[in-house]
Amino acid sequence: MSKRAITLTVNGTDHPVQVGVTERLIDVLRDHLDQKSAKEGCSTGDCGICAVIVDGKLVNSCLMLAAQCDGRRVTTLEGLLEDPIMKRMQGSFIANNAAQCGFCTPAMLMASWDLVRHSAQPTDEEIKVAISGILCRCTGYYQIIDSVREGCKRGGR
Amino acid sequence: MKFFNSEGPLSRQTVVMSALELYSPTDLNDALRFIEHKDGKVAVIASGTDLIPRMRKRQISPSVLLDISAFTEDLRYIRQAGGTLRLGALTTVTDLLESPTFDGELSAIREAATLFGAPQVRNVATVGGNVCSAASSEDLIPVFMALDASLKLVSAKGERTVPLRDFIVGKRETILKTSEILAEVSFRLPEGHSWTAYEKLGRRNMLIIAMVNEALCLTLEDDLRTIRSARIALNRVSGKIPSLAVRTSEFLKGKGVSDETVAQAQKVLASELSLTSDFRGSGAYRAEVAQVYLKRLIERCSRQIGGPS
Amino acid sequence: MSEQVSQLLNSLRAKAERGELLYIGENVVRVDSLEKVLGSPVYTADLLPKGTVYAKLFHSSVPHGVVKRMELGAARSHPGVLGVLTSTDIPGLNESSAVLLDRQLFADPVVRSTGDILGAVVAETSPAAADATARIKVEYEKLPTIFDPLEALEPDAVKIHQKGNVARQMKIRKGNVEEGFAKSDVIIEKTYRTQFQDAVPLEPEVGLAIPEDGGVRVIGSMQSPHNTQAAVAKVLKLSPEKVRVIQAVTGGAFGPKSDETPYDVCSTAALAAVKFRRPVYCAMDREDSMVMHTKRHPFVISHKTGVRRDGTLLADESKIIGDTGAYASLGVFVIARATFHTVGAYEVPNVKADSYLVYTNNTYTGSLRGFGGPQAIFAFESQMEELARKLQMDPLEFRLRNMLVPGKKSATSAVMDASCGLPQCVEKVVGSSRYREKAARYRNQTGTVRRGLGIALLMHGNSLGPEGNDYGAVHIEVHSDGSVSVGSGLTEYGTGAISGVMQVASSVLGVPLTRFKLERPDTSKHRESGPTVASRVVVIGGNASKLAAEKLKGKIVPLAAEMLRIDAKDVAIADGIAFDRTHTSRKVEWDEVVAEAFRRGISLKEEGFFIAPPAPWDQEVGQGTPYVQYTWGALVVEVEVDSETGFYKVLGAHAAYDVGKAVNPGGVLGQIYGGTVQGLGYAMMEELLHKDGFVVNPNLGDYYIPTSMDIPAEFKAFIVEVPGPLGPFGAKIIAEPPIVLPGPAVRNAVLNATGVSVDDLPVTSEKVLMGMRQETAAHPH
Repeated sequence: MSKRAITLTVNGTDHPVQVGVTERLIDVLRDHLDQKSAKEGCSTGDCGICAVIVDGKLVNSCLMLAAQCDGRRVTTLEGLLEDPIMKRMQGSFIANNAAQCGFCTPAMLMASWDLVRHSAQPTDEEIKVAISGILCRCTGYYQIIDSVREGCKRGGR
Repeated sequence: MKFFNSEGPLSRQTVVMSALELYSPTDLNDALRFIEHKDGKVAVIASGTDLIPRMRKRQISPSVLLDISAFTEDLRYIRQAGGTLRLGALTTVTDLLESPTFDGELSAIREAATLFGAPQVRNVATVGGNVCSAASSEDLIPVFMALDASLKLVSAKGERTVPLRDFIVGKRETILKTSEILAEVSFRLPEGHSWTAYEKLGRRNMLIIAMVNEALCLTLEDDLRTIRSARIALNRVSGKIPSLAVRTSEFLKGKGVSDETVAQAQKVLASELSLTSDFRGSGAYRAEVAQVYLKRLIERCSRQIGGPS
Repeated sequence: MSEQVSQLLNSLRAKAERGELLYIGENVVRVDSLEKVLGSPVYTADLLPKGTVYAKLFHSSVPHGVVKRMELGAARSHPGVLGVLTSTDIPGLNESSAVLLDRQLFADPVVRSTGDILGAVVAETSPAAADATARIKVEYEKLPTIFDPLEALEPDAVKIHQKGNVARQMKIRKGNVEEGFAKSDVIIEKTYRTQFQDAVPLEPEVGLAIPEDGGVRVIGSMQSPHNTQAAVAKVLKLSPEKVRVIQAVTGGAFGPKSDETPYDVCSTAALAAVKFRRPVYCAMDREDSMVMHTKRHPFVISHKTGVRRDGTLLADESKIIGDTGAYASLGVFVIARATFHTVGAYEVPNVKADSYLVYTNNTYTGSLRGFGGPQAIFAFESQMEELARKLQMDPLEFRLRNMLVPGKKSATSAVMDASCGLPQCVEKVVGSSRYREKAARYRNQTGTVRRGLGIALLMHGNSLGPEGNDYGAVHIEVHSDGSVSVGSGLTEYGTGAISGVMQVASSVLGVPLTRFKLERPDTSKHRESGPTVASRVVVIGGNASKLAAEKLKGKIVPLAAEMLRIDAKDVAIADGIAFDRTHTSRKVEWDEVVAEAFRRGISLKEEGFFIAPPAPWDQEVGQGTPYVQYTWGALVVEVEVDSETGFYKVLGAHAAYDVGKAVNPGGVLGQIYGGTVQGLGYAMMEELLHKDGFVVNPNLGDYYIPTSMDIPAEFKAFIVEVPGPLGPFGAKIIAEPPIVLPGPAVRNAVLNATGVSVDDLPVTSEKVLMGMRQETAAHPH
């Protein structure tokens, strides 16, 4: 497989990497850059648990070629651990039992964070739409929706 | 004696990587020259939401990929001028949702975009990709057909415009030449008293390959009762090809909007549909639902225009 | 210290003074929540050391045949490939079989399904391994196939296994059904069918093996490290001590990870690790998983049920057939549960049941949450609805008349005792859903939108019951810094059950859960405790934890008493502080007591071992007490049907479960929500299809599980607590039960809304519409 040199900015840091031309963004994140929060659940773009943010938009990293990310800005959960909105959201997830097996949790957090930074007090309907592309098999979604609703409130736990 | 790998209905989900080359051209002209140079033997990739799963399932094994995702300046736009709406092929589904252009009579586009995939997919999936996939389940194709869209196809040798209704000839078969790239989808804004609407049926509410996608562009005469034109398009009319329901559309022309007309139109549609069954649903069921949607689309559009409901 | 916290501590101490339970029944933060919200690299795929190579399994491309020849040359010489493993590479036994020893690791020479594994390619990269498998050519002599279990039962059917096509047969003979039918005023005979369901754990099955010390260390996603250890040892011909298996944090399981698939991936990884002296990661991607792992058994269940005009059930005769696919796996126990639950949560004086676990050439089926319960209860609850309609009796009243209450007898003639909380569950859901009011209102509907209510009742026998000895061990160690670690062979994979086990210890010791650490289950450290199945952790593990904690407390309390200069009986411990019950100002910190223990050389390591009382029953007649306690439940769903397209949605779900004692109520609710939604998937949209033995839709674009847009807008869940005899503090299991009732509740709701009886799951919009068309044709207005 031919290789290509690209540079992608991940969580604010430029990373020059050599990628196989058909390596996907998720492969670069997990294998080259040791960022393990994005996970692979289906390989066909149907489950969303590989979701990360590229140039400000939530995308499935298993469907994006790494080479297409040359020069782009990628944000993963690892890069948001100090972000106040994310921290509030994480605290709410813990308090509301939103993480059972945890495999969808990073993607759910990314989708929730993406929603809340655009819409400070979303309705339950809006929350459902925001996470509609991420499958969860454990929770039935209710406690995740509660978590996002609670996690929006300023001064909440 | 039978050999492995050729038996089942599905190929294995593996990626054939070894022979792959990826070319990222600097601009559209560069891309077209590259295609020419490779004699058309390239697979164009924009968002990858259709291509990558198919490659992983080994349904296709391209040896050269051409990445056009960076041409946002050339190909990502929503422009309205002189009664025509033009969508650059790299316009994403989210772009459609975020544009105010698609409230009002072009609502069908908003409706289709809302029901399209999931947020992550909408953020990257492109108008051009949707049209070229032509796999008989696309959300935007029936809407564009109802709007009688035209496609601008470009190659190193020039460009041509073809009507969408002639573009798709089979499941995943279009008349796009190997030397061409789809650059733009355009249509004339419906004149006078018009409205568009879209309906979709699947096994669940989200992220589905639909059993039925159906769109209508309805135009009434000034009396707000008589149908000037009614273009109905479905993801499948005959076999697995998205197309206009031509006979039904013809039948409706000149008729008054009424329960009687709708009932008769449903019968015409039923006779026009020749649907196959697959594991998602039977052809008979899809035909039933298509008829129900016809009624609902006419009702909705007529009501919005101010006609009978 | 803030006002709020000091109030909390005071109330804790007051409870401890009174000898009441601490920390039980409270929503505590689960010990493993933090790592999940941080996205920490704790799953198997995150743990690959440098130099790891990849093993990719390849499987049969015919549903029944004899392998004549495998051409591996092209695969072997593919760039990056280290080698190709097949049965000839197995030093030990070519076995990977959960119960009946009917299955090999690498099928040789007979393949019985397209999911049969033939071998694995081992390569430097995952894509190289995958591409190389595409270059393998296999020649088979094809054998005749059977895909319908009814066909497999015919006398001249092709034998899929040498011993024949019936893997297990069971019976119930209670009373005399012929007499019962003779006295019946109404008799209904109907057949119900259920489909293959895939568990779809979001993390597919994976295993990592690292060669070490003449043996191998295996880290993987699984429900049972000890069973995996035994399986790998057998294949590698190593003594079990040379095979160390550690369960990594597991991304969902639901059953298949307690069957053969973890043995398959871990044995393959271990074989390759030992052969190539490299760490080996064997991963199934989603398609692999959906083809090769176990699914839920499809069942064909026929009931003939007789009832008196006043609504009393008199007799039921059932024929129960489960398709176990090519191999039995845990099907031998699934059929048992289905049989014991054949008349659901009702008393029927005369019961005859004959059940068959049948082989076919479909891919194999095994454990999946509910384990025969969903199928059995779907059939009988549907039958109950049909009977009510025939009797022109309200479906709720009909159920109330016949449901099990203390004093009544189950299908196996077990007498229900005072711990039966079914009536309370029914009352809760009937009230919450406004069942009576709405059912009356919905009796006369016009228009194209139709609403309907459906109700279903649950009885779910707890724990392994008749499947085998039900035991478990938990060990607890207090460290010199005062922290407490808990370890067990029982596993956590999302249910929160292990956190519950730790909560029990926390309660007994009086130390908050925040001081606790979970040890990853490790065969080199923790005693074999059976597989983590049947929702048994809170009951078996909870009891074992309680025993261990009590032993520890027996060492701590005297020491604290000494340090406080009081009698041991006056010592209470709460919130990590030991104090004098009678003079609460006299106290000593937990850490101080622990330090003193260390100074004196007192060991603070204890193991608790719990074995459930036997559950005796007579195989010949299927009578006895196969379960020591039961979880009870009720569900009402309200649907709204678009009668022109058949498309429907569930507007509301009202669920109540008697869990005995909710150790962590938030966790219990999580299981109720999650299990119900998984059950709604089974009821409405999930169907793993085979065509000529090939799985048609082994991916998440063609196999639909509920998304956030598919859940009922309203979901009211209630916890009922009627203590049971078996679990700690009276706890009963909760993890599996919520998946059982949505199937029949949705089916019955649709029936009430439209008049259409859908007798085979899932209830799709097509079946509803086509059913309505037939209804209209049969009864034109």
